[in-house]
Amino acid sequence: MPILNPTIETLDRKALLELQNERLQIVVNQAYSNVDFYRRRFDEAGLSPDDIKSLEDLKRIPFTSRKDLMENYPYGMFAVPLRDVVRLQFPLGLYGNPIVIGYTRKDLEIWRDLVARIMAGIGITEHDIIQVAFNYGLFQGAIRFNQGAESIGAAVVPASIAPAEVQLRIMKDFRSTVLASTPSFALHILEVMQKKGIDPQTLSLKIGLFGAEPWPEEVRRFIETNWGIKAYDIYGVMELVEPGVAGECMAQDGLHIFEDHFFPEIVDPASGKPLGPDRPGELVLTTLTTSAYPLLRYRTSDVTALHPEPCSCGRTLARMDRVLTRSDQMTTVRGINVFPEKIQEVLASFAGVGPGYTTSVSQKKGMNDQLKIGIEASPEIMSATEERRGALRDALHLALRRAIGLRVEVELTKRVQGAGGRV
Amino acid sequence: MLKLKNIDAFFGKIQVLRRVTLHVEAGEVVSLIGANGAGKTTLLNVISGMHPSWEGSRLFNEVETRGWRPEKLVAHGIVQIPETEKVFTPLSVLENLELGAYLRRLGRTVLQEELEKVFAVFPVLRERENQPAGTLSGGERQMLALGKALMAQPRLIMPDEPSLGLAPTIVAEIFRILRSLHEKGTTILLVEQNAKEALRISTRAYVLDTGRVILTGTGADLLNNEEVKRAFLGKDYQGKWER
Repeated sequence: MPILNPTIETLDRKALLELQNERLQIVVNQAYSNVDFYRRRFDEAGLSPDDIKSLEDLKRIPFTSRKDLMENYPYGMFAVPLRDVVRLQFPLGLYGNPIVIGYTRKDLEIWRDLVARIMAGIGITEHDIIQVAFNYGLFQGAIRFNQGAESIGAAVVPASIAPAEVQLRIMKDFRSTVLASTPSFALHILEVMQKKGIDPQTLSLKIGLFGAEPWPEEVRRFIETNWGIKAYDIYGVMELVEPGVAGECMAQDGLHIFEDHFFPEIVDPASGKPLGPDRPGELVLTTLTTSAYPLLRYRTSDVTALHPEPCSCGRTLARMDRVLTRSDQMTTVRGINVFPEKIQEVLASFAGVGPGYTTSVSQKKGMNDQLKIGIEASPEIMSATEERRGALRDALHLALRRAIGLRVEVELTKRVQGAGGRV
Repeated sequence: MLKLKNIDAFFGKIQVLRRVTLHVEAGEVVSLIGANGAGKTTLLNVISGMHPSWEGSRLFNEVETRGWRPEKLVAHGIVQIPETEKVFTPLSVLENLELGAYLRRLGRTVLQEELEKVFAVFPVLRERENQPAGTLSGGERQMLALGKALMAQPRLIMPDEPSLGLAPTIVAEIFRILRSLHEKGTTILLVEQNAKEALRISTRAYVLDTGRVILTGTGADLLNNEEVKRAFLGKDYQGKWER
């Protein structure tokens, strides 16, 4: 099975741990001396960077949360002067509580190489034509597929969010061999293909590289059987690199985490207590080589388990299970992250509604497809004319759609006394 | 080949190295760069056994060498080339070179062969064979020091500031020699003020700052690192705002 960087990807675990240890100490030194936030954190915890002598000692460092990133917005978490930064990126859908992540030229280089590792690992070569059908506007990771593919010499077709018919036309005319997209968009293309009676055999597609939303095994099986391609998962964390933290190999038996650049831990989401291998919990990542935006023990809110034993593909890099659930309230609907903070913010800008609301998602093939929000409204609104309520629903619908980037179904509900929570 | 783990080193009560962890693989040229007082020379002294006061782990080919005396380390091929007093000035060039092989207890024929190898790298030393080392120029002394180190059949050589105080053409010559030694398979751990030249010939490098490792990367990575450029690459570097 193809491996782009065999020196690292098949390094024996002992040597890998030594490399991680060496890099950890450097990142701790950098974070402590260059990032005020981390210096304060260490000092408050009565911890000196000199106390971190091994990966074991990492546990003594307090976690970093998304809240910390928000509180230190915009540049408080940066470890290099702004003039060394060549890219500033912010997760869309979080304008209300923003964060911004910086990357140096070297950071971007590493990122590109990691995406290339995943691509090479699933058999993509310079002979392939990769159709990237991610939303370049809403998903800033989309461009990484271009760079990763170009670095291994494959041809990129940034088809973006052209309608399924156009995607199929491109696929046929250009003889695309790889589709990179959200799994839900792939399903949609497949549906259209079946509806139009297009025989998958007439296309050249052989590989699907899917990510940016949770997708269960049944979706993989459905796509693979009905399309006759191999489908692989790619994983990232927007506060670090997305995509590029981990990716499946041809064995399709978990995603290899790039442990030479990220040190993974699994913790109990409630207590923060580290959990051993093979036990599901929240993934916590420490960057080992990031220059601009180093993160120590960052809580990703993604739930998975780690498996350190070597893989049948020959890689020694630990594998993580595919992420299907979150430990926080964020949901992903058709590849778009929906944060509760965002919904609260929209509701706060309307009189007489919220703060209580409920969300529910309808699923298609086990994947989130439609988001429905039940919003609590005041008795005055509930007893107003249907026309007035309809207008409010429309206004909320528009505001939410604008804020989240997703069409949602809005329902007004009676305010429950004393409640203000969400489900 | 060489692995240091959590090296702390002291001068009396003053701590000069703080949990330094680094490694050198066989065949690599690894540079240590950093400002004066960062702890570079102390680190070399810890590796060669010349600095007594340290804690941590020093592995050579996976063997813990804590407590080894300098001569035992030399016998295992770890050879430091100190910044000053690198040659015995009253002795001749030839005697200096022979002393380099002292621990190897070579027979006359083998010794002669080894000398020939060194003379092939440094023809100037053959010309000066019988001259007292004290009469050599700075560049020639540096070559003699390197030659003496090679006579020990080193597995790892550690030159400390080999270009210090030398004229630019001689500096270029010294780096050319280091590069050719690397190409022949010698493993080098280099301490050098001339960061630009050092990084150019390095497979990897570490940046030390007040006793701590604060950066690492390939030579090329660090040559392009803005922080390194600002701190060590001198006045021919201009940031993007200054241009």
